Amino acid sequence: MMGNLLEHMGVERDRLHFSWISSAEATKFVDVVKEISDKVRALDTDKKFAKDYTK
Amino acid sequence: MNFITIDKKDWTTGIDKSRETYQVFGPVQDENGCQIKPLAPDVHPLMDAGVTVMSPKSVLFPQTQKMLTATLDASIEDHHVMKPVKKDDTPRVVLGIRPYDARAILLVKLNFDNPDYQDPYWCEAYAATTFVGLGVNHPGPCDFSTSTGCGPFSEEGLDVLMADLDDRYLAKILTEKGETWAGACGFDTRADAAESQSLFDILRKEAEKNITSVDTDQLSEKSILDLYEAPFWDDVAFSCINCGTCTFVCPTCWCFDIQDETKHKTAVRFRNWDTCMSPLFTHHASGHNPRGSKVQRVRQRFMHKLKYFVDKYDQGIMCVGCGRCVASCPVNIDIREVCTIMNNYESK
Amino acid sequence: MDTCIEKIRTICADLLAKGKVQKVIGFAEGSIPMASRPIAVTSKEDVAKLVFNATCGLNLANYVSDVLPKEGKIAVTAKGCDSRNLVTHMVENQVSRDQLYIIGVPCTGMVDKRKIAALFEDEITDFIEDGDTLTIVSPQKKEKVSKKDVLRHNCRVCTHRNPVVFDVMAAEPVEEQSLDQPFADVDHIAAMDPAARWAHFQELTKNCIRCYACRNACPLCYCPTCFVDESSPQWVGKGQDKTDINTFHFLRAFHCAGRCTDCGACVEACPMGINVRDFTRKLNKDALELFGWEAGLDMEKRPPLDVYSPDDPNDFIK
Ligand code: SF4
Ligand code: SF4
Ligand code: SF4
Ligand code: SF4
Repeated sequence: MMGNLLEHMGVERDRLHFSWISSAEATKFVDVVKEISDKVRALDTDKKFAKDYTK
Repeated sequence: MNFITIDKKDWTTGIDKSRETYQVFGPVQDENGCQIKPLAPDVHPLMDAGVTVMSPKSVLFPQTQKMLTATLDASIEDHHVMKPVKKDDTPRVVLGIRPYDARAILLVKLNFDNPDYQDPYWCEAYAATTFVGLGVNHPGPCDFSTSTGCGPFSEEGLDVLMADLDDRYLAKILTEKGETWAGACGFDTRADAAESQSLFDILRKEAEKNITSVDTDQLSEKSILDLYEAPFWDDVAFSCINCGTCTFVCPTCWCFDIQDETKHKTAVRFRNWDTCMSPLFTHHASGHNPRGSKVQRVRQRFMHKLKYFVDKYDQGIMCVGCGRCVASCPVNIDIREVCTIMNNYESK
Repeated sequence: MDTCIEKIRTICADLLAKGKVQKVIGFAEGSIPMASRPIAVTSKEDVAKLVFNATCGLNLANYVSDVLPKEGKIAVTAKGCDSRNLVTHMVENQVSRDQLYIIGVPCTGMVDKRKIAALFEDEITDFIEDGDTLTIVSPQKKEKVSKKDVLRHNCRVCTHRNPVVFDVMAAEPVEEQSLDQPFADVDHIAAMDPAARWAHFQELTKNCIRCYACRNACPLCYCPTCFVDESSPQWVGKGQDKTDINTFHFLRAFHCAGRCTDCGACVEACPMGINVRDFTRKLNKDALELFGWEAGLDMEKRPPLDVYSPDDPNDFIK
């Protein structure tokens, strides 16, 4: 529901990820982090929730 | 005292002309109600707007104001040293400010510009601003400005006071700043002084007829402790949700909080409006909160406005009777009723 | 609805006289047109102050936990939505059923005060309610409108006008509305492209003054210290930066997920007339579609984000 609300507000859905990884699942952890990084990188830097003190 | 008459047909041309010299502020309407804001070059003030939701105090005292900045980059010589931000001190004019709001600016001045302390941010903005007021022909049901040392055609705090006469404005120039503004607009049709003054008087009397009034005469006589300990506060405060709307919309509320924020290598110090209605306002670093309960906070608001201020400055109450808090309070806590209770209170 | 006020007063006078409750929480006449105010009545003589009309748009469930006596009960008048928030309060252990005496008031909706004010160029000086007919007066004109035409949006889409829990009812139940498109407002926003959705919410909150009236008027927001007021750690900046305003609105709304009854008190309280329900309505729609859940209807069930069930939708977890 959180992701849906963000998406509803116009924030890219791919910026929010949920996963359930046990401490024994090292490879899954690596895969998930990789996937997240790729997806977020593809979205470019977030401007919506970033402050700009130069203004 | 000079009077000039401004044909409404010439009004916008004059205002546009003054934009060469002034940044123009005035009432504008959007879906959230009417507010006094800086006007974009193609926007003209909505002069016949009623009471603006927010007061124009933000022209001199913005809700969030950047004060100081510093760099945290240790390779730069004066890193971590807070320096004032560049202030905008270019001339500005506030059009259509109402007389109660002009008086409110003088009350706020007691706090920001006094022999002990001069707040550079406020003082410089004040010096740069010309206030062109508009008398209130038809006071609304919440207006009680005649009871607060003010009134629908009060001149205090204004540089120009205008009266709306349907097809034209009649303007009374009150200060040199006002004269300069009229010059910059090219408004120069003189009107007969005696005749104009009597027109103002007629409008004022007409407007004052419909204004509600509240007695404040006993407040200074009352004992602070009696009022503080009076039993009525629980009832007054019951419905309050402590939102602070009353203080944010109020032209005379001046409290603020200072916050530091950093991002990467930049540090910024801001001040934000704060409110006695918020528990955080008085929350000590120790965890103790001297005004921890709602009723204490509600009492503080009214005691400050209607008693402490009265005693400290001897300039009447810290309220100009604009009625904004009455209109905007979600639970309809009415300062006029509380003032009456306090004014009439006899301890047993 | 004005016919039920006599019944409410009689019930309250009786409860207070017999000492069955220590206080009655209800609404009283306001000091300006179209205003009403929450009030706690403790004596039989004061029950005459109670009113109930189409301006009683706040949610009285917001007041009960502040004034609960150590022993005994308090009475509270409750519209459909208020009663659902009382249920939520009970489910979340803020109050127990035996501390309350609930006077149910079937509701035909509350008026949108801003919509009415917008019909006039000058200020409203009088407001008279007679059944569905409202007579509104300003110095310039006198207008009669039908209450149905000026209802608040949440009342127009309300399907629980009758209290869901009560000890006594102040009137006969009213007919419930059935809607073809219960979430047309949410669908309207959802149909926009992402940039337009973002722009919509930026525009919506552009005049927010962060007074938090929306939060404070909401019965769901009872945390002793709200995340926006926390200072160590400080979750969100306190100024007027858009980022902080967005963060506040997003998180306030999310904290109401699966709990919001769409009572509209938040919008009613906002001095800037911001429809913060644009956030919570999306959550209400999702709660209904994903969990078949509407808040405050069932005293036995916890809100969906509060419990785990094997058939919860979980395709968002990788
Ligand atoms: S606006 Fe009303 S409810 Fe809000 S803090 Fe002020 S008095 Fe209390
Ligand atoms: S206390 Fe209320 S009426 Fe008085 S100046 Fe402030 S907002 Fe206006
Ligand atoms: S009540 Fe309105 S102005 Fe106040 S914080 Fe909520 S949305 Fe913003
Ligand atoms: S979020 Fe608004 S509509 Fe929902 S329960 Fe709270 S006050 Fe009512």
